[in-house]
Amino acid sequence: MLRQREGHLTRDLVRTPGGFGLGQVPARHKPDATADLVCGYCSTGCRLTVHLKDGAPVNLTPSPGYPVNRGTACPKGWEALTVLDAPDRATTPLLRPAGDAPQRPVSWDAALGTMVERFKAIQARHGAGSLAFLSTGQIPTEEMALLGALAKFGMGMLHGDGNTRQCMATSVVAYKQAFGFDAPPYTYRDFEESDVIVFVGANPCIAHPILWERVLRNRRNPKVIVLDPRFTETAMQAAQHLPLQPKSDQSLLYGVARILIERGWIDAGYVEAHTSGYEGYAAFVQQFTLDRAAADTGLEPREIERLAATIHAGERVSFWWTMGVNQSYQGVRTAQAVIDLALLTGNMGRPGTGANSITGQCNAMGSRLFSNTTNLLGGHDFGDAGDRAKVAGVLGIDPAVIPHEPSWAYHEIVKGILEERIKGLWVVATNTAHSWINQSQVRDILGRLDFLVVQDMYASTETARMADLVLPAAAWGEKDGTFINSERRIGTIRKVASAPGEALADFAIFKLVAEYWGCGEMFGEWESPEAVFHILKRLSAGQPCDITGIADYAMLDERGGIQWPYPAGGPPVAPGAERHLFEDGRFHHPDGRARFLFEDPRPLPEAPGERYPFLLLTGRGTAAQWHTQTRTAKSAVLRKLYPDDVYVEINPADARARGIRPHARVEVRSRRGRIKATAFVTRSVQPGQLFVPMHYEVTNRLTDAVFDPYSKQPSYKACAVDVGPV
Amino acid sequence: MADAPVPATLVDHYLRLQREAGTAVDRFARAHDEASGSGGPSPTGRYSALMPATPPGEGQQYAFEVDLDACSGCKSCVAACHAMNGLEDEESWRDVGLLHGGGEGAPVMQHVTTACHHCLDPACMHACPVDAYEKDPATGIVRHLDDQCFGCQYCTLACPYDAPKYSAAKGIVRKCDMCSDRLAEGEAPACVQSCPGEAIRIRVVDANQVVEESETNLFVPGAPEPEITLPATTYRTARVLPRNMIPADYYSVNPTAPHWPLIVMLALTQLSVGAFLVEQVLGLVAPAALMASIRPLHSASALVFGLLALAVSVLHLGRPQYAFRAVIGLRHSWLSREIVAFGLFAGLAVTYAAWPWIGARFLSGGGAAPPWLGWTVAGAGVAGIGCSVMVYQFTQKDFWNGWSTGCKFLLTAAVLGLAAAWLSLMVTAAWTESAASAAALERYGPVLCRALIAAAALKLVFEAALFRHLAARSTTSLKRTALLMSGALSQVTAARFAAGVVGGIAMPALVLVSRPPAGEDVMLAPFVAMLFVACLAGELLERYLFFAAVASPKMPGGV
Repeated sequence: MLRQREGHLTRDLVRTPGGFGLGQVPARHKPDATADLVCGYCSTGCRLTVHLKDGAPVNLTPSPGYPVNRGTACPKGWEALTVLDAPDRATTPLLRPAGDAPQRPVSWDAALGTMVERFKAIQARHGAGSLAFLSTGQIPTEEMALLGALAKFGMGMLHGDGNTRQCMATSVVAYKQAFGFDAPPYTYRDFEESDVIVFVGANPCIAHPILWERVLRNRRNPKVIVLDPRFTETAMQAAQHLPLQPKSDQSLLYGVARILIERGWIDAGYVEAHTSGYEGYAAFVQQFTLDRAAADTGLEPREIERLAATIHAGERVSFWWTMGVNQSYQGVRTAQAVIDLALLTGNMGRPGTGANSITGQCNAMGSRLFSNTTNLLGGHDFGDAGDRAKVAGVLGIDPAVIPHEPSWAYHEIVKGILEERIKGLWVVATNTAHSWINQSQVRDILGRLDFLVVQDMYASTETARMADLVLPAAAWGEKDGTFINSERRIGTIRKVASAPGEALADFAIFKLVAEYWGCGEMFGEWESPEAVFHILKRLSAGQPCDITGIADYAMLDERGGIQWPYPAGGPPVAPGAERHLFEDGRFHHPDGRARFLFEDPRPLPEAPGERYPFLLLTGRGTAAQWHTQTRTAKSAVLRKLYPDDVYVEINPADARARGIRPHARVEVRSRRGRIKATAFVTRSVQPGQLFVPMHYEVTNRLTDAVFDPYSKQPSYKACAVDVGPV
Repeated sequence: MADAPVPATLVDHYLRLQREAGTAVDRFARAHDEASGSGGPSPTGRYSALMPATPPGEGQQYAFEVDLDACSGCKSCVAACHAMNGLEDEESWRDVGLLHGGGEGAPVMQHVTTACHHCLDPACMHACPVDAYEKDPATGIVRHLDDQCFGCQYCTLACPYDAPKYSAAKGIVRKCDMCSDRLAEGEAPACVQSCPGEAIRIRVVDANQVVEESETNLFVPGAPEPEITLPATTYRTARVLPRNMIPADYYSVNPTAPHWPLIVMLALTQLSVGAFLVEQVLGLVAPAALMASIRPLHSASALVFGLLALAVSVLHLGRPQYAFRAVIGLRHSWLSREIVAFGLFAGLAVTYAAWPWIGARFLSGGGAAPPWLGWTVAGAGVAGIGCSVMVYQFTQKDFWNGWSTGCKFLLTAAVLGLAAAWLSLMVTAAWTESAASAAALERYGPVLCRALIAAAALKLVFEAALFRHLAARSTTSLKRTALLMSGALSQVTAARFAAGVVGGIAMPALVLVSRPPAGEDVMLAPFVAMLFVACLAGELLERYLFFAAVASPKMPGGV
């Protein structure tokens, strides 16, 4: 009684060999089987090994043998199972009887019946195109393809887009124009094989920690260069950090190009053999003298020269960009200014090189190829009769049901609602009312819809709460399918847990909607995710993303995922191989050449001025937070890793001038809204700039709805605000 | 409705499919064994570079080593510790904080991962009243014996690094054991395995070196003084961190969760001891007959408060059924000593208080307890208060330093003891209606009243003196406390001073200036009872602030 060394409390923490190559595990959670899934958060595409006991998941660990993550994961991945058990999971369809009445549980039959009835009534009154959908980069490719095909070929919708518009649309357009196809050329091993790694508007330490791990595995003692207005975690690790003024990237990159050309530091042979448009480019960058580049960027001229010299000195230089480039009103041309530098210096198609876009969501790449929104299924063109006939042939449908135009982009759909051209909207696994730019406006616009259907795993998202009908969806871990990661690697997810209540896999929901709509027969062959995977393979035949050589899901698992392209009859690829593109210097334009693309930088759409003297930057807060936090806020461990309440980073000089004490409550105001936040006084932001993480509900009340003219991606990181004590 | 009626069974079909948990698992689960793995190296081989080649020898122990340059702040170690050790919902034995500083245009950010430092001189172990901690002689790992713990949480106050974490659900504390099961098999601890940057290692360190580095404060900026406990963790960096590195939460001040049972226990034990003490002092000057008349009531009520305090203190334990274990830490734990001292005090006090009732019957020599017994009770009580002071002094928090805590606790004993004695005198006079009592009240009432005013005023001034720290430029821990008391806890602070002034100064002063006609002092009994309650409320609120407003040195926290 007096001294007790053993007992139930001690046993609670005992560890025991877990088997399955797992090492020791908590004895309570010793698995009797394991299953591997690609993680469902970001586009890194780590694989997680779920520990199963009596057919249910009890724990997970990152998979050691997977070529992407090799046994590590970020906090989100570690907590991927926890968020499935949240009390606010949607467990039954919810229907709003009328007007402002609260949503009420209904049967699936009633829910689907009402959805079809209301949608058909809207189409009867306002035309087939008056229905639209907003989808996501968070569901498997097979589900995206089914939704896209169902909505456009089955239900007659013309317009659908995804939240991927918010993250990688810029890269898609930049690649398509430069390379002739949306083909990110790299493999993660390039991080390990570079001599110089240039990050533009990217903070992988926080946004993609497992990719940063790959940088740390580089044994060539690489020089890391960071272009970012903020002094980020990644900037802290850099050999050279260029804290340029926001949105001055083009001036810097063109200025560097001018130096490289002037000093003969270019790979003339590569430019000659594999590119077009060099003369125009070389003439264009002449105006970006060192003085101009320094003036535009606020950098010291010698820092710019040093950057050029480092790029020149590197035998293998890789360029990587993320949201600092993509989420801009001139993102496409900025991304292409990065691509131009890689082409100019011949840093393409060799190990450790490339102009490389790190994507955002777990299946953004799947969406790029198979969402049937901007591109016809499989990276085809809606406007091309041959492509339409090919797709119709593969699917066994009448080519006439395929629209001749790509969908409207996200903001055009939103505008369509405002103009009463869109009256019914189906939102799948995204949270428009939180994440879309200029939030108060978009909430007002969503409120004008005749019928809003939200399909989500949580009934509590800001958008689901606005819905006329909520369809409860099964989550990652509760269904099968494939994701495609940033390096084009296709990996599987699978069902390891049963969904709560009556929640159904998105795949099943789409199939049911097809049946209730009356077009179920069109999707007879689409009977399971794996069956759809075989359809997708056929759709990819002959495309740069050809995956006809992949036999089935089992092969994906055995090989540790497979990168596209993987055509049938192609050269053999070793299991776990890491392949980059364009080794032969042949690009996808008809002439086989990559294009130099460039344009004059444009002024800030909303430059800071007298009333709103600060420039607001938004972005990721911590590695433990994901987007609108519908999932990550459900884990108690993750909640410990970031502040509960929204905060604003402000430079000490600005804080002093405004009478703001550290950790005081402040108000941040823009022309569109105002928010209260806690001041984090830090030199990681420059004077005149503020930073607010995007994960907090209020952040987008401030942002300004401005878009890149080519990619239609919202410019989240540049609007004018003011700040002062509360 | 739909063009063609759809049988409801299709919905049922998909619902059935969705509920079949086993199918996908059977289809996909790889029943691979240890040897085949998933193509990757085993956890043992994979991290060999992060593990020591040999076990610790004489004068050595295992320790964490953190490469600050390799930590980029992803915080995977926190999540991995939670998952790989099967901890409770929000439980993890690792935390990650942030230091920032540097100059304009050259800022520095440094994330700092921290867990138990497996100190050479662990405060948790010395503090623990039930010997639930042991430092493994071979490995140096500070282990917590979960089934021995009775949930007093004293270690959570004593550890400068916030390493032991209390689980209310389990009623015990748990902490990092450096994954000793894994270490024993040559496997890396969860945090070591999970760090993408390989920033955390296990190293064998020499005790002498740890002492030397602690004495020269070679630890990590923003952390508590390492010389208190000699933490074995080493933080390495190839860079020079600027002098102005501060934790990201440096300016945030948040109240600490108060410990209600401890608040009540401290205030009431001090009331009880104070009452006995005042009685003894009064006995030195007052006639024996008078003392004999007030003693039965006074000692009994002082005893009731004392016993109530001890009963309430047990509620503080996560596992009160093991309260008796508290005696085994007597040799090193001030909490054990406090419990034993107050146990002794209670035993003696019971004897003393019972003496007038029982002694008269069974003992020759009449009803009065021998004076030595009274002094022994008071002495044991003062020793108990001394132990209480040391319990908090031991935690090395500025607000709880021995001098200030000692003054507070003794003045609480004085204020409440005087008020109680005055009330006892008054109630006795009213009860017995004897002329002697009334005379005694008239003679000694004003004395007690003046003493009460003096003690209460002194205490309030002493407490208010804390606010001088508001003027400090740097955010010292006492300034944090003052900020809390004048900010987030300002209502409690206002109530505390109001109760103190009303009960300890204003009401007694009113009695002094407007004395009732001679012989009618007893009419004041309800008034004095009210001021006693006000004093007691004031002291309870002061003790609430004692816990809620304390600022603890800690490892750097997050934004």
